[in-house]
Order: sequence, then structure tokens, then C-alpha cells
Amino acid sequence: MDVAMTSTTDTVCPSCGGAVSEADLFCEACGAELKPGTAPTSPALDTDTEPTVEIGAVPGQEAAGAGPCRSCGGTVGADGYCETCGTKAAKPRDHFEEQPAPWVAGVCDRGIRHSRNEDAMAIAADAEPGSRALLVVCDGVSSSLDSDVASLAAARAAREVLEAGHAQGLGTDSSRASAIAARLKAAADAASDAVLDSTSPDSPNPASCTFVAAVLENGMLVAGSVGDSRAYWFPDAAEPVGLTVDDSWAAELIATGVSREEAESGPHAHAITRWLGKDAPDHTPRTTTLQVSGPGWLLVCSDGLWNYCSEAAPLAELVRQTAADKGGEPLATASALVDWANAQGGQDNITVALARI
Amino acid sequence: MADFTASVYQNEFLPDGGTDVHAIVTVNCTGAGAAGQSGSGDAGEIIIVDTSGSMGRDGVQAAAYAAQTALDQILDGVWFAVISGNDRAQLAFPPSAEPVMVKMDPYTRQAAKDAVSRFYADGGTAMGTWLRLASRVFSTVPSLTQKHAILLTDGENQHETPEALTQTIEAVTGQFQCDTRGVGVAWQVDEVRRIAQALLGTVDIIPAPDQLAAEFSKLIQNAMGRGVAQADLRVWAPQGAEVLFVRQVAPTVEDLTSRRTSINPLTGSYPTGSWGDESRDYHVAIRLAAKAVGQEQLAARVQLVLGNDTVAQGLVKALWSADEALTTRINPEVAHYTGQTELAQAIQDGLAAKAVGDTATATTKLGRAVQLAAQTGNEEATTRLRKVVEIDDQDTGTVRLKRTVEKADEMALDTASTKTTRVRK
Repeated sequence: MDVAMTSTTDTVCPSCGGAVSEADLFCEACGAELKPGTAPTSPALDTDTEPTVEIGAVPGQEAAGAGPCRSCGGTVGADGYCETCGTKAAKPRDHFEEQPAPWVAGVCDRGIRHSRNEDAMAIAADAEPGSRALLVVCDGVSSSLDSDVASLAAARAAREVLEAGHAQGLGTDSSRASAIAARLKAAADAASDAVLDSTSPDSPNPASCTFVAAVLENGMLVAGSVGDSRAYWFPDAAEPVGLTVDDSWAAELIATGVSREEAESGPHAHAITRWLGKDAPDHTPRTTTLQVSGPGWLLVCSDGLWNYCSEAAPLAELVRQTAADKGGEPLATASALVDWANAQGGQDNITVALARI
Repeated sequence: MADFTASVYQNEFLPDGGTDVHAIVTVNCTGAGAAGQSGSGDAGEIIIVDTSGSMGRDGVQAAAYAAQTALDQILDGVWFAVISGNDRAQLAFPPSAEPVMVKMDPYTRQAAKDAVSRFYADGGTAMGTWLRLASRVFSTVPSLTQKHAILLTDGENQHETPEALTQTIEAVTGQFQCDTRGVGVAWQVDEVRRIAQALLGTVDIIPAPDQLAAEFSKLIQNAMGRGVAQADLRVWAPQGAEVLFVRQVAPTVEDLTSRRTSINPLTGSYPTGSWGDESRDYHVAIRLAAKAVGQEQLAARVQLVLGNDTVAQGLVKALWSADEALTTRINPEVAHYTGQTELAQAIQDGLAAKAVGDTATATTKLGRAVQLAAQTGNEEATTRLRKVVEIDDQDTGTVRLKRTVEKADEMALDTASTKTTRVRK
């Protein structure tokens, strides 16, 4: 996200007392790291609301940061930089992967041009292919404080709510859909609470993030979002469908008849009109329900991916082609899509979560 | 045990396509202890005194008195010798036909003072022979880890070619450290400065012989306060990077770039000599291959190393950013020392031009020096410049050369040109 919601506030460096901006990662005067180790399990989080899952501790996840330099393969020094090429070693938060079941996987990556990864992802699935999956993506607003901490807390809090819920309503399709939509709303509430808990109440620039979640349960697909992270359904034998509508300046322009291309390339293309956070106007997700009638790909992603391919049809083609190249393996496909976005410039953090249904 | 710390001052933000990273690394040493008492080896001190004919009877007497004062300051247990030099070098103490040193104690101190009192002025000047003898004398004591000399001269190096002196300097570089002093105004600043810079020492003018004793006393006190025998600055830069320069910028400007010895392909070592309780600033400039905006990398690891032990490390970073507010910031320390380095060069260039009668260049360079001294708050330099030029406007660097200038003032400006002031924080 590149949304300047509020201006940055000047503070002082804890090391030398020099003036620093909130956006600074290191002190201008003394070089002290101002926000050391914004790891996923940040101590800034309220432990009551923080999931105990640690990146690197979950099966199917890879812990970045250990081992050789990602850039040249050299040895990473004790100071966190490669001893050959000087590249800063990746923090685990910069790139992580999840694959709760062989048919569901996601990759969350810092991209190239951002100095930290404010995207987050939390996914879960039952082992039986096509049975039950839930995918949550949150994209931290980069102009707010600690949004990397907030987004991860939000995604995980939402997953926890979605995992726990099994209410089926009265058993009819419409009743089941309402029950799942209600769970999505509860998940958004939990995510919102997690965001609020991740920054101090008197923060001048409280953390905020987007929210998108998709739940597949017994052939019914329900997706809901706040902000501009998206869910898509790409059936193998039917037209691709965008499941979410962005809460964004660009989406409002499109609604008035401006072309998507024009709206999404304008100066306010990335300004969002709804989000999760202390100063959020409203965080009720707008939900869409769909009956899955055949095989296909469910994609939940941040704008780091769709920036480079926004329309459903070409994005579906990209996903299908990439999946074909990777033998239909969800993790390899998600990883390849992240690589593709980085190859396009990696202007933003990139999250790709996929379920093969 | 000495305690070292390193701090880095830089703007690590580079614009898109930016390649050059500048940083000031401040290395601070505390608890250095006294020379030869740190347990890591012995300290040696040689006093080299010019006894050429030009010194005259009064000059030699003043020099002998200064040497005696210096002997009083050498700590007991420190190995020492005294060399008297004219167109050749003689070991004045210990009295021996072969190079030799002895340990300081009350008896040797008195014997050395007696020997020094028998100095007489005679012959010419060939400083290279003095340095070679000092090197040979030091080499007779294998346990020495800290070797320091003070050299006093009063005249030009007339009995030796400049090439011979250059060869000697190269031969003895790294063998010992040497502070040099010129008494009177008949000596050549450039010549003596060359010796001091190569031998990691200082250079200064002592205008009158009666100031010799105080200066010698101070020099030896400083040397005796350097309990860390020898330290090196190591600079690591990433593969593909170029180390543009490594300079000491405080307390004096000394370019170390050409003093590099390779530790490995990515790491160079630069000699810094012995350390007392003090702080020195180094300006390191690295050229990197530009990376994409948002990328961060290490531009240099700057370490102070004793033997093979790294005792302090500073990290110089590079972070490419599209934010002009960050990338256009000028780091005050880097700016200050860039100005001070240019100031030293402007003074030396200006005086050199003045010496050959190039008034236009001298006026421009010294004018620039006046401007830089004012901008960087170097009041000492301003005071010295005032004795050589009339300042019309220091902000624009508008000056006129003075018609009559005391030779000693001009030489003092020259010798002090590399002295820097610290950044006012």
C-alpha cells in the first residue's frame, strides 16, 4: 500500500537523540536501527490475542534468514549482512510460506522496492482436497506505524475465528451462506481488534491494514473484503470471477464509468476508502457467495500481485499457465506467481494464497 | 586493558542509481595505559637531534637541554637511545660502536644526559642516515612492539638527494613511528612532513630554540601515554565494490588509501600506529554497484584490529530510496570533514603557489582556505591564515596576500594545515 493517510511525525533517535522521522528504519545521525527486528511475533503484540504460531515452526513453512545469503550464496555474518556481497540477510518476516494441506498454499514476500514486508497471510485447510479451506490476506498500510505487526496479527486472529466456526445455519444453502458470512464478519471483527491491540492507543499514526478472507466449505465459497486485497475464482471450464470489490478511490472511479486501466494507474490508484484500524470508518466485509460446480483455482492476493494483472481474465490465464508449468502444485505455483510479480518490478509487498479445488 | 568503540556517521540513503557511500567512523580508545606496560611487549624510544653546523653553539645547547628534558619523561623500563645527526648519524647514547639500546633507569638516564651535554655543532644534514640508524637501533631489541622516535632538525636536507631520502623513508616505513619538529625557519616543511606522514607521526615548527624543551617534553609524554602498541584499521567492502579512499580526518588529515595491505580480496588493512586514550575520526568512501530502490546492503565493515583481534566495528550501510527527503540529506560529519580535508589541501596548494611567485593561484587557494576555515569553524586555521593574508570577506573567500609575512608564521600555517577541528555536536 502506498497510502499516505496521515503525515509522519518527527521523534528522536533513542541512541543519539538526533531527530528522526517515523518512517526511518535507521537513525540519520548515528545509524542506529530504529525498528529492530520487526519479526512476526513482535513483542508489541498483546500476547492474549497473538496466535502462538511462529513462522518457521509450522510444517510446510520455510524459515528465511538462516543459511546462506539469498543473493550470492555467501556466508551471512553475525552482523546480519553477507560477508561476500554485503546483502542484508532476509528476516523471517520478509518472506514466508504456508501449506496447511497439499492442495492449499500461500507465499508472502517483501517484494523488491519496499524495505519491509507489511503484507500478511494466514491459511488453513482440511486434508481432504476440496473439502474445507480458509485463506486470509491482510496488507498493512505502509504510512502507518507497525503495520507489519498489525497485519500479521490481524490475519492470524481472523484465521482463528474462521477455524473455530462450524455453524451451518438451518442447513439450506442460503442459510449456510449466511452462517459463513457471519463468521467472516466475526473474523473481520477479530482482525480489527488485533490491529487495535498492536499499536498503543495514543499512537499518532495507528496501524491499519486491509482484509480479505475466502472460505470454502462443502462446495460453497464465501469471500469478503475490506480495502483492496482481493479474492478470485478461476474455474477450469467457466469464466473467471472476481469475488471482491475494492474499497478504493480507483474502484469508485470505475463505478462512475472510468476505465479500469485509467483508474488504477491514476495518482490515487492505491488510496483505499475502508480499512481495519483505529481510525477506520467501518470494517464490515462485503461478502460474495458462490457455489463451486467444478474444478478451479481459488486465489486470494494483495495488490502486490494484481497491480501487474488486474482484470480477472488475464489473471486467470496467468494463474492457469503458471500452475501448468508447476504441475498443478499450489505452493510452487504461488511461489512462481510471487517471482513473476517481482520480475515485473516488485513495487509492493506480494502475497499469493491458492487453493486447488 | 584498552577499550575501543566505533561509531558511524553517515547518510545511508542513496537515490535511485546512486553508487557512492561516505561515512565518518569515530574510533575511541580508553584505558590504554602506559607505553610498554600493557604486557604485550616492550616500548622503545629514540631521540634524534640535529647537530649540524647550522645549529650553532646556542642551538645545540638548546637541543641538548631539550633532549635532557625528554629523557626525564621516558618511563623507567622503556628501551631508549639518543642519535645525533649531521651529514651522517652517530649513536650518542648508549656509547657503543654497534647499534644498541638500553633500558631506562636512574643510572642510564644520568649517563644519557651526560652524553647529550657533550653535543657540538658540526657538519651538514642528511636525515635519511639518521632514520636508517634509528631503524637499525630499534631492530636490536626483538621484544619491542612499540617503537617511537622524535626527530629534530633545523635545516634543509642538503647532503643527501631527495631520491635518497625517499628511498630511506620507504625502507623504514612500518619500522617505527616518528614525530618530527623543525626549529627555526631554515628547514623545509614538505621534506619533514614527508617523513612524519610516512612514519605515522606529526610535524610542527618550533620557532625559537628556547621552546624546544617544552615541546620535547610534551612529545615524550604523549608517546609514553600510548599503551596500545599498534593497531590497524580494517575495511571490508563487498565484492564488486571499490574503496575510493580511507582517510584519517581527525585529529589530523592523513590519507591512508595507499597504505592498504590486503587481508583478503575484500578486506584491506591500514596502519594507525599506537594509541593512547584518544579519539580519531576516519572518512571512508565506498563505490557500490547500484541496486534497486528499497534494497539495503552493507557498504563497509570498518574495524579496529589489535594483532588479529577485532576490538571495535562500525557498519556502513547503503539503502536505496525514492524518497528525496532522505537521499538529499547531507550528513553533518561527512560534510565537515570533507571541508576540512579540502581546507588542508587549499592551504598547502596556496603556500606552494606563493613560494613560486604565482600570486593569482595563491590568492585563490588561500581565499578558499579562509572560506572553508570559516564554514567549518576552524578558528585556529583562521588565525594562522590571518597572518599570511588580509581577509576582506571570509564568506566569499576574498583575500589579499600580505606584503610582508613572517617566515615562521607561513611555516606554522603549513605545518598545521592538516590539523582539523571536530564537528560541533
